[in-house]
Amino acid sequence: MKNTLIKELKELFRDGRIRLAGGIVILLLGMAVWISSSQYHKIKQQNKISEAHERENWEDQGEKNPHSAAHYGTYAFKPQYPLGFLDKGIEKYAGTSVFMEAHKRNEAQFSPVIDQTGLARFGELSPDFILLFIIPLLIILMGYNSFTKERELGTVSLLKSQGVKSNNILFGKWLSLFLPIIAITLLLFLIAGILLSGLEGFGWGSLFLLLLVYWIYYAVFINITLLTSRLSKSSSIALVVMLSVWIVSCLVVPKATGNIADSKYPYPTRQQFTTSVLVDKEKGLDGHNPWSKEAKKLEQQTLAKYKVDSLAQLPFNYDAFRMQKGEEHEAKVYQKHYQKLRDQFAGQASTYRSLSILSPFLPARFLSMGISRTDYHSHWDFEDATENYRIITQKFLNDNFAKNSSYGDWGYKVDSSFWKDLPKFNYEHPSLNKVLEQQLFSLVILMGWLLISFLLLLTVKNKI
Amino acid sequence: MITTKKITKKYGDFTALDQLSLNVKPGEIYCLLGANGAGKSTTINLVLGFINPTSGEALINGKSVFKNNIETKKDIAYIPENLMLYPTLTAMENLDYFSGIGGQKLKKDQLESLLIQSGLQPEAFYKRTNAFSKGMRQKVGIAIAIAKQAKALLLDEPTSGLDPKASNEFGELLQELKGNGVATLMATHDLFRAKEIATHIGIMKSGKLKQQFTASDISLPQLEKAYLDTMNYKELAK
Repeated sequence: MKNTLIKELKELFRDGRIRLAGGIVILLLGMAVWISSSQYHKIKQQNKISEAHERENWEDQGEKNPHSAAHYGTYAFKPQYPLGFLDKGIEKYAGTSVFMEAHKRNEAQFSPVIDQTGLARFGELSPDFILLFIIPLLIILMGYNSFTKERELGTVSLLKSQGVKSNNILFGKWLSLFLPIIAITLLLFLIAGILLSGLEGFGWGSLFLLLLVYWIYYAVFINITLLTSRLSKSSSIALVVMLSVWIVSCLVVPKATGNIADSKYPYPTRQQFTTSVLVDKEKGLDGHNPWSKEAKKLEQQTLAKYKVDSLAQLPFNYDAFRMQKGEEHEAKVYQKHYQKLRDQFAGQASTYRSLSILSPFLPARFLSMGISRTDYHSHWDFEDATENYRIITQKFLNDNFAKNSSYGDWGYKVDSSFWKDLPKFNYEHPSLNKVLEQQLFSLVILMGWLLISFLLLLTVKNKI
Repeated sequence: MITTKKITKKYGDFTALDQLSLNVKPGEIYCLLGANGAGKSTTINLVLGFINPTSGEALINGKSVFKNNIETKKDIAYIPENLMLYPTLTAMENLDYFSGIGGQKLKKDQLESLLIQSGLQPEAFYKRTNAFSKGMRQKVGIAIAIAKQAKALLLDEPTSGLDPKASNEFGELLQELKGNGVATLMATHDLFRAKEIATHIGIMKSGKLKQQFTASDISLPQLEKAYLDTMNYKELAK
């Protein structure tokens, strides 16, 4: 095995095509890391400035009615997870900040893509693009003729006559493809680790796991490439087959799966979603409308509960109390409708998972985004955190209003120092364990790809 | 050492080899003569275990080639008609690789010594083999065979395409190996070379061994006549 490994490596490094392709990949990776790293730090800096500025705005509101402050609102900014610099996932399309205000749950807005021109359709040079699309191509270029060349050169008979076990040759060839890929990716991840190690939230465990996922993904491609080379009659056939495998796995299946998932579990349009939310909101209590049926019902219940005859006799400001109850009803409505969106997404995700058996790209892509905390799960985790913070904020404001003023006292104002008492929005990305729990199926599928491709490679009859 | 027992190979209705039995003892060189398609290469491939027989068996050192494919190959060295090497590797690297996978871990000076023994010019040792002539490649092949220290040597038209000098050097090397007790089975068209180096000669036609001689018992003209008679080239035989 060692002899074959050394021989194959010598052949690879003496092949001008491989040297050129390898050089291009390393150059592209270097550029991608540099671009991504500078963008990451730029966005991180912008977030830090915006966050500080927004908090300053909040704390400097002066004397004001708490419910006015609730409508004044504040922004929560999505912090970047350090590994997001390696795999940006959906970050480009998902919003970066959420405006949190009274009565309304807003989605994240200001996605980076809206600041770009139509050229954004071409995509961008990022490490995940090189890792997921280009390195498999390099593997194909390096390995498509691993076995066919032995037949075409005529070395196969001399090789066979040496009494070497075919699996020794196979493992030597396998390692000769895997080791250069390990070297390139290890270098990239080490650089990434060094660049990111000082950042808050960075964990070497996540970085190593991400690297492991890519190594498994590449091992699958190496297995398929060697299997194809072993079974093909000529190098040209092997190359065409492998390029077809790459096109289907990395381009066709992901896009087709997206279409299938979307047609099976369609998302409502924004208009439909807003209308549904509005209809359900109107069915319940509107904190600002004391004359509605629901408001009257609450009024009666509250008077009965506190055994008083009028709202003015209540030990708190009933207006603020009603406002808070309205908030609670609206929060439930949003929760219900967002849950419906999650259910649709769960359906789409299950379609993706089922079709992952057609392409190792899909589980690798999902795992990569998950570990980098740039997938939908992570985005929703952030949006849920902002909604929780919004609810807490509204309660904080309404409670103060209710406790410190009396019914009808809309002129009540809190002291300017009050705003500082609201805890800051502090978001922590999902833990690695939680990510693994969410991505367990993708991990199983990717491991399945690895095992099955290995088994096929080892059991194929057409051996050297 | 090299034995075939009633070995037969059929491809559908076509019989490539028909009940061939022969035995090559240590220190013997057995040359198989015959026209194209006579079954010479099929015999070599069967003994190498590259193809399975329809019936019969081939033995190396008493062990069945088909039951002990990997094990018997350790005792065999093989030089094909058109020996090909890895073009991006040097002669030394090719020799190092093939001897390495054959189980021999040799040092640089040992590798150089083998190439000298095979007759390759020293200035070619560290050159990539992509520009090597057939003769030069055959010499590297010989070095690979010697490196293996095999007890059985299988040669399939090894001198085809070699210039007379290289062919003569090759013959001398075989004699040297013969002296070391190596059993050699060689398929060839070259009657002159066969007569010169063989201890035994067999003439094949249509998958059958038609005639066998002890080389010392027959002259070159007699061998030539026997060959032409066997091939039914009556006019030429006269």
